[in-house]
Formats: sequence, structure tokens, C-alpha cells
Amino acid sequence: MIAALLNRVVPRLLGVLVFAAALGIWEVWARSEESFLVPPMSAVAERAWQVWPTADFLMPVAASLKRLAAGFAIGAGIGVVVGLMMGSSRRTRRTLEPLMEFSRAIPPVAIVPAAIVVLGLGDAMRIAVIAFAVCFPVLVNTIEGVRVVSPEARDTASILHVGSMGRTFRIYLPAALPSIVAGLRIAVSIGLLMVVISEFLGEGDGLGRYILFHQSQFNMPEMYGGILFLGLLGYVLNSLFLFAEHRVLTWHYGAAGVQAP
Amino acid sequence: MLRVAQLGKRYSSDGPAALTGVSFDVTAGELLAVVGPSGCGKTTLLRLLCGLTPPSEGAVLFNGRPVLRPPHEFALVFQDYSRSLFPWLSVVRNVMFPLRGAGLTRTGRISRAEAVLDEMGLHGAAHKYPWQLSGGMQQRVAIARALVSLPEVLLLDEPFASIDALTRAELQDVLLRVHGVSGGRRVTIVHVTHDIDEAVYLADRVLILSSAPGRVAGSIEVGLARPRAQTATRSSPRFLAVRNEIHLVIAAKELG
Repeated sequence: MIAALLNRVVPRLLGVLVFAAALGIWEVWARSEESFLVPPMSAVAERAWQVWPTADFLMPVAASLKRLAAGFAIGAGIGVVVGLMMGSSRRTRRTLEPLMEFSRAIPPVAIVPAAIVVLGLGDAMRIAVIAFAVCFPVLVNTIEGVRVVSPEARDTASILHVGSMGRTFRIYLPAALPSIVAGLRIAVSIGLLMVVISEFLGEGDGLGRYILFHQSQFNMPEMYGGILFLGLLGYVLNSLFLFAEHRVLTWHYGAAGVQAP
Repeated sequence: MLRVAQLGKRYSSDGPAALTGVSFDVTAGELLAVVGPSGCGKTTLLRLLCGLTPPSEGAVLFNGRPVLRPPHEFALVFQDYSRSLFPWLSVVRNVMFPLRGAGLTRTGRISRAEAVLDEMGLHGAAHKYPWQLSGGMQQRVAIARALVSLPEVLLLDEPFASIDALTRAELQDVLLRVHGVSGGRRVTIVHVTHDIDEAVYLADRVLILSSAPGRVAGSIEVGLARPRAQTATRSSPRFLAVRNEIHLVIAAKELG
């Protein structure tokens, strides 16, 4: 009983300790450097405590989140819809596969300059490049999820005269859901990456711009604070997805005997 | 009611035939078992019977009309219940699945599904998920889903092959009960199996297929009284005689 408790608690405790140790090393190292370019962790935290609740910080955060939400919704929507089409029809898959394989081989960052030329420096460009990057992991996972639907399930649909719409939404979509959700989770972190990069290159507001601005002003605590906030944001978004995954996919963990992450 | 005429199937035009020249009739209410060594095209035959796969030659006629796509009056039970049931739906929703678009209200669909589940001895399991049940129970759910739309023809593809021996005997009796439902019309059943004892125990007639390519090697009337019982039926002289006859037919085919 106590051993079991220790087995559960000790690894977590170690995780926290390693994290705290990393912060400690930063603190000690930065203090020994005595350079304003490398502020100690405590100074960053202190400034964050003052700045994060103000509009100076929250406005760019809200702007970035809005772009992420819009780009993610469009990209994931396209990924799921096209993925269902490609997964359920071999002809559609054969037709679109070369285009898909080529497009997703392009590092999404590389399309930003082209997007700026076509769409300008504003939000249209940003949302487009986020959607582009988000689309592929969702698309690939959706196709794979539909592809592994069992022949028995397909035959059952044929015997029961389930039409193509019914097949897609009553069989393929739920069957592919575990795979789709895994794709969405990968897509969130890629989306966040594209938010920051698109904000570096365009004009206006956002967290990326905030970090770049304070770097140019040598406001090092603000800059590091922005970077840490992105880490925090990515962590929280990932946790939210895991939580949702748990709620929606209880059946999957049970059926496949998969251990919930 | 079901007529199979000179049925043949090649999966590629220059490949070997999986089935060739298969002809037989199934009368209404009959329980026909199809036995044969593995690879003799039993599953292919079943897929052709229900119109999931088009034949290369010959035809399947249901009430005189050729079967080109799955008729509404047919239901199919697969060997692998874990892959044919939908793991994201509870047991009762799995069984309700075929009733969508059958002109029933939601409550009507639920009560119909629950009635079939009761018949299958599954009343406690309606709100569980298939994977929370044992293999035998899951196959009962699959049979319930096949029966919920009141099919005239029930096709089973080695339904008890991956189930332990004791549960298999139980499910064989469930199937006999389904076939012999008193009062109503008998459902016509085609039961594919590689278990000769099972075929004799269940069927009115056993069709024997030989392999490579699959063709009809024999058709034997079982002629055992109904209702049947595991111990009494299986130890009767008639049961043993029919079983031996089938073994002889298969052995003769193998020796050429």
C-alpha cells in the first residue's frame, strides 16, 4: 500500500524536482554572469507578475489566440473533410495523394514569404499559413483512421444499405476519431509554431511580435517572459486536448486495451 | 427460396478459380450447413450468396430474382465479432443500428432492440460496450443485430470458430432456438463452418465443399429430430452415421 503510493508519487516528485533544478541552474548561472542580456529567472518572474495581467501583455496574447483558433479551425476542418473523402474512396485517394504528399513535404515555414506576397502582411496571411500547416497532420491521420476500418464493418454497412453519407458519419468518422484526435494534438503545437513565425514576419500585434519588440528594445525580462508564456500555453493546450480525448474516447481505451496517456 | 446456379468466382481473370460450378437450392425455413476444408471458398460462397461480391459465372437467385446487391431480407454474422460490432456504440445502440430508416420512432427502435437482446439472454448488457463483454456474449450481440431487422435469410460465416468449446455449445443452442422460434415463420439459415459435428448438430442438410477450386462434393440430409439436445443428439446412432458419411465424402475427394 505504502509502496504503491511511493511508486506513484516518487516519479512525479522527481519530475517536479528536475524542473525546479533547471530553473535553479538558470538563476545561479544568470546571477554569476551579471549581464543584463541574461536576466535571472527571478527577475523574469517578477516582471511577468507585473506585466502579464496588463493590457500590454494580454492584448497580444488574445490576438495570437484568435489567429491560432481561426487557422486551426480552418486547417483541421479541411483536414477532416478531405481526409474522410480520401479515406473512404480509393479513387479520390489516388487522385489527391500526389498533391498531398508533395504539399506536406514543404516545410510550412517556407510558404510564409509567398503568403506575404499574395495575402499581404495582415491576419489573412497569418491565418492561411497556420491553416496550411495544421491541415496535414489532421489529414494524414484522418485518412489512416478511415483506412483501418475493418472489412467486417464495411460489409455490415453494405448489407444494411447504409448510404455513403451514413457510412461516412456513422462508421468512418467515429472509427477514425482516435486517430483524428491524435492528429489534432500534433496540429496544435504546429499551429502555435506558425502563429509565432507569422507574427515575426508580418506587422501588427501578437505574442511573436511582443517577443521580437522587447528583444529589439533590450527588455530582456519581457522577452523571456513571452517565451516562457508560449511554453505554458502549449502545455495547457495539450492538456486540454488530452482531457477532451479522454472524455470522447473512453470507448477506444476500453476496446483497444490502450493505456490512457 | 434461394437457388444457386453454376456459380463460379475468379478474383482475377487469369487467376485460379475460388469456386466453380456450384449449384444447390435452399428451401424456405431450412437450416443448411456448409462444410469444407479451409481455403475451399466457403467465405467466398457466402459473400456471393448475399451479393457482397459479384460472381464471375452463374447466378444466385432469391425468390427467382438474381441477387446483384445485398437484399434487404438478408442478414450476415461474421466470425470476428470484435471487428464487426462498433466499439464506440453501446450494445443496445449496436443492435439499433440496422433500424435507422426503418420507419420507427426512436423509442420504437429502442424497445425492438431490447426485445431482441432479451431473447438472446442479454438483458443486463444493453448499456455496456461490446468490449466489456466476453467473446460469447459479443457474438450474441452480433446475432441480435442481425435478427433485429427480422431477416428472412440469415447467413453465418464460421460464427463460433473463435469461441471456446463450452460457450460454443451454448451458442449453437441459441442458434437452434432462433431457427425454431415457435409461432412465426422459420428463418432460413445458411451456416458456414469447418466443424463437421457442429454442422450435423445444427443443420437439416449439410453441403460439403471440396477445395481448390471449391465445388460441391456432396449434399447429405441430416434427418435428426428436432428439438435437438447436445448430449442426446450427439450420441444418437443417426448423428454418428451422418458424421461418418461426411468424413467419407471428404476423404474420397482428397484421395481423388
